[in-house]
Amino acid sequence: MSADTVQSIIDDLGALLLFTMILIVAAGQIYRAIYAVAAQSLLIAIAGGVLAAATGNVDLWVIAAITLVVKATLLPWVLHWVVQRMNVRREIEPVIPIAGTLALSVLIVVVSFQVSASLGPVRQAITGNALPVGIALTLTGVLVMATRKTALTQMVGLFASENGIFFTAMAVSQGMPLIIEIGVILDVILAALVMTIMVLRVRSTVDADIADLDRLRG
Amino acid sequence: MIGDRSFGLVCLEMALLLLAGPLVTGTIQKIKARLQCRTGADLLQPYRDLAKLFRKDSVQADTASGFFRSIPVLVLAATVTAGALVPVIRVGPPALPLGDAILLLGLLALARFLTAIGALDAGGAFGGMGASREMTIAPLVEPVLMMVVFSTAVAAGTTELGALAAHRGTEWLLAWRAADFLGFAAMLMLLPAETGRIPVDNPDTHLELTMLHEGMLLEHSGPGLGCMLLASHTRQMVTLALVSALFFPAGPAGTGAASLLLGVGTSAAKILVLAIFLALVESSYAKLRLFRVPQYLGIGFVCALVALALRIL
Repeated sequence: MSADTVQSIIDDLGALLLFTMILIVAAGQIYRAIYAVAAQSLLIAIAGGVLAAATGNVDLWVIAAITLVVKATLLPWVLHWVVQRMNVRREIEPVIPIAGTLALSVLIVVVSFQVSASLGPVRQAITGNALPVGIALTLTGVLVMATRKTALTQMVGLFASENGIFFTAMAVSQGMPLIIEIGVILDVILAALVMTIMVLRVRSTVDADIADLDRLRG
Repeated sequence: MIGDRSFGLVCLEMALLLLAGPLVTGTIQKIKARLQCRTGADLLQPYRDLAKLFRKDSVQADTASGFFRSIPVLVLAATVTAGALVPVIRVGPPALPLGDAILLLGLLALARFLTAIGALDAGGAFGGMGASREMTIAPLVEPVLMMVVFSTAVAAGTTELGALAAHRGTEWLLAWRAADFLGFAAMLMLLPAETGRIPVDNPDTHLELTMLHEGMLLEHSGPGLGCMLLASHTRQMVTLALVSALFFPAGPAGTGAASLLLGVGTSAAKILVLAIFLALVESSYAKLRLFRVPQYLGIGFVCALVALALRIL
């Protein structure tokens, strides 16, 4: 594959990643957010595969495969299971209205493109629009974490944010060393498991969610 | 101004959009019926409905003013004129100065405004409610449509739809840039709203809780109602043709009768695909609560805005 083809494919995947991010921000129900984050991880895996085929980097194949198995299949399944197990209200409870969050996410996209444009010649060395898309995904994931009351949707935000960092790392520097990537993936799995257990525990002992914790006073 | 589409061709395209409009509605209804395991009405049923309406006399509310009678004709005229601006059979700018996408959106907005005015004029409660709802939705739909058109117009450097379609060229899907995906996603979210279908509106019912567009037609009768229905068929057709002109304008380049037929065939295929999409969406989603509609359209707006940002920045 020529460099131009790879660049345009990565650009297109970046646009689709932004679209899934918009769906995550706008999702009114937890299930939709989970499906959207699974689709996003699948796109990240495809991007990894494309970059691996283009650069011949074996590490990238491994990373793409791990992403496909862990982040596109396993973690969404765990989230899905927790939602069913907890029997929670399936509607997302935002801190500020979803329309406001959407407006903020547009602002984030525009700002990250603007910031990356100021890089000038440095940006030419980076694959297409991967850097601004990665920054936008990361920041929007943080936005989702900050504006949702329930722990589960905050986890979805964390995964989306993690996807953004992954995408940036893959496209900008053709992947971090394999050992670091695996470490990051393990961290994410661990975080997901710990959070899942905590959510279930908190739920079963005091019947409260994260938003109620700010009433705790020392 | 030297163009590729002669006056006759533009007239032919306009007539095609007008005449095939009811057929597309019939097709969508048929697909929906098949998905619900019903036989469904014949494909030509919308034509029969129109023929029946045009044979009838019209009655009019006592409270309606003289302007009320002219409204269906004006709405139909505005919609059909909008149809002249969309390239259907061939791409390329028209040979005569016609107008661009902004005029097209303006004409569609004019038709919508006249419909609402007519509903208010008759003085019925349902008409007023339908008009108020339609006017709540319209300012959310039209900016998104404009953004999508602009996001493709920025790349081509023109807002004339024929030239826009010609700029995209024949290898449309391979030449899609990142912004096109987002613009197309926004357009697909917008399509049910613009054609008055689920999840935004329900075209099949006259229940007061669900209707937007149908509520405004209640006071019309006979030929007037026929004109309004024909206008809404044509509007749907114009919107579908606009989508295919913006995103996949593949058409033959020749001038002979064979390439003309081929052009009709390809555009029919494209519109059929979009009609199947609409029928699938209508069959698999429930209608949104009215207060949820702004959020749904907000997704489309954000997508279109990001598409524009991808183009410019």
